[in-house]
Amino acid sequence: MTYAFQFGVLNQYRDQLLAGLWLTVEISAVSIVAGTAFGIVLASLRSMAGRGTRIAVDTYVELIRNTPFLVQLFLIYFGLPAAGLRVGAVTAALIGMTVNLAAYSTEIVRSGIEAVHRSQIEAGEALGLTQVQVYRHVVLLPAIQKVYPALCSQFVLMMLASSICSAISTGELTAAAAFVQSQSYRSFEVYLAATALYLALALGLRGMLALLGLWLFGRRAARRALVPVVEASA
Amino acid sequence: MFQSFRGVVMAAALACAAVLPASPAGAVTLAEIQGRGAVRIGVLTGAPPNGMIDENGNPSGYDVDVANVLGRYLALPVKLVPLTPPARIPALQTGQVDFLIATLAPTGERAKTVMFTTPYSAFDLVVVTTPDKTFAKADDLKGKHVAVNRGSSQEAALRRAAIPGVEIVVYEDDSTSVQAVLSGQVDCAIVPSTVAQGVIKQMPGAMKQDFTFFSQGNSMATLLGDFELHQYLNTAIYVMKVSGELDRISVKWTGSPLPPNLPTF
Repeated sequence: MTYAFQFGVLNQYRDQLLAGLWLTVEISAVSIVAGTAFGIVLASLRSMAGRGTRIAVDTYVELIRNTPFLVQLFLIYFGLPAAGLRVGAVTAALIGMTVNLAAYSTEIVRSGIEAVHRSQIEAGEALGLTQVQVYRHVVLLPAIQKVYPALCSQFVLMMLASSICSAISTGELTAAAAFVQSQSYRSFEVYLAATALYLALALGLRGMLALLGLWLFGRRAARRALVPVVEASA
Repeated sequence: MFQSFRGVVMAAALACAAVLPASPAGAVTLAEIQGRGAVRIGVLTGAPPNGMIDENGNPSGYDVDVANVLGRYLALPVKLVPLTPPARIPALQTGQVDFLIATLAPTGERAKTVMFTTPYSAFDLVVVTTPDKTFAKADDLKGKHVAVNRGSSQEAALRRAAIPGVEIVVYEDDSTSVQAVLSGQVDCAIVPSTVAQGVIKQMPGAMKQDFTFFSQGNSMATLLGDFELHQYLNTAIYVMKVSGELDRISVKWTGSPLPPNLPTF
């Protein structure tokens, strides 16, 4: 069987596809920033506060990491209105992605914090740094530097997982592709185009994160953000 | 799976076409059918409740009941030939069936290849909503959020209607559209009436059915030029309508009688 590709058809749906692409960029950017911020705060709280807080944070992290993203989205989109709070499809997507990414980044940052050796903290204290200074310069920043590649991978995964939000009628790239497909019946062309756009977005995001890493941590961390490698020796 | 099955059916239809005389089968007269001692009727499978296969593997549904009534009118045993949607018209053209009762919607394009009777069933797309809202006509949807199933005929009909200010919210299936109504994410949904009946039965008091957005009639079909059979079937449909038999079948499978305002021809 031969299939005659007609990519020209996509041209008349360019606006819909670009609008979907833009929404994907927007919800990914907002949820990455917010999710990472929450993740750092929760991981720090967990390492400093008492047993109750640690159990609460761990419960949240394991609950989110061990349930499907789609189910989380359905609970937010269909469940919150039942509780009297109506959220739109874009808001629900933002909440869902932020909640999801916050859990993963909490876990990633936690592993970085726990990898900081006790003797380093003692060295900081011996130098006369305040508790806040020790936490900031000796614990948190080196911790984030260590786990930066893992965080970057999680960001890209979250951006790609935003396609799941099409199931709750968020008009992102996958939803736009599905709309074009249902109108034009050119599924191969549409989904190949969507694949290319996602690939470009992922590579672009990796490039930006590498630049950010270069600015924050210097050359080595940046290289690992671009091409994540399993740390064997570090 | 379905794609390949459809492929097999199409291949089988083409193979039959090659074996049978090259020209399309000629018109079948009533005398020929009676002489043969059985009437062969093509019915649809895989389209509940109109045509499907029951637990015992036999064809069942709205179309099958209508076929059996016709068998009684003709005083002949009915030989049901189960068909998939793309195999319906080829099966008729190659003479495997005498006529079709297969939920075939009359269209201008199809009317160039087969002759349609007056509609004997209708496929209703209805507006469902929560009890606190009321939608009586298409204009009431202005400025509302309306849920439809992606790529469905209700989505196409809603886009075609181009109601000003209507926000079309697309979900992956009918049940998600219904869920969106229940949780207040949209004002209403357009679903097949059979789906609406099922939902209302499951959650009485939470959902109700409002106006019929779009009604699509289905016709029986005979070969082009088969006027004798065509006229017989049209007469039979008329008799079924006035005797109430068609309404009883409709109530049995769809929960409501045949739409009274369904146009005929």
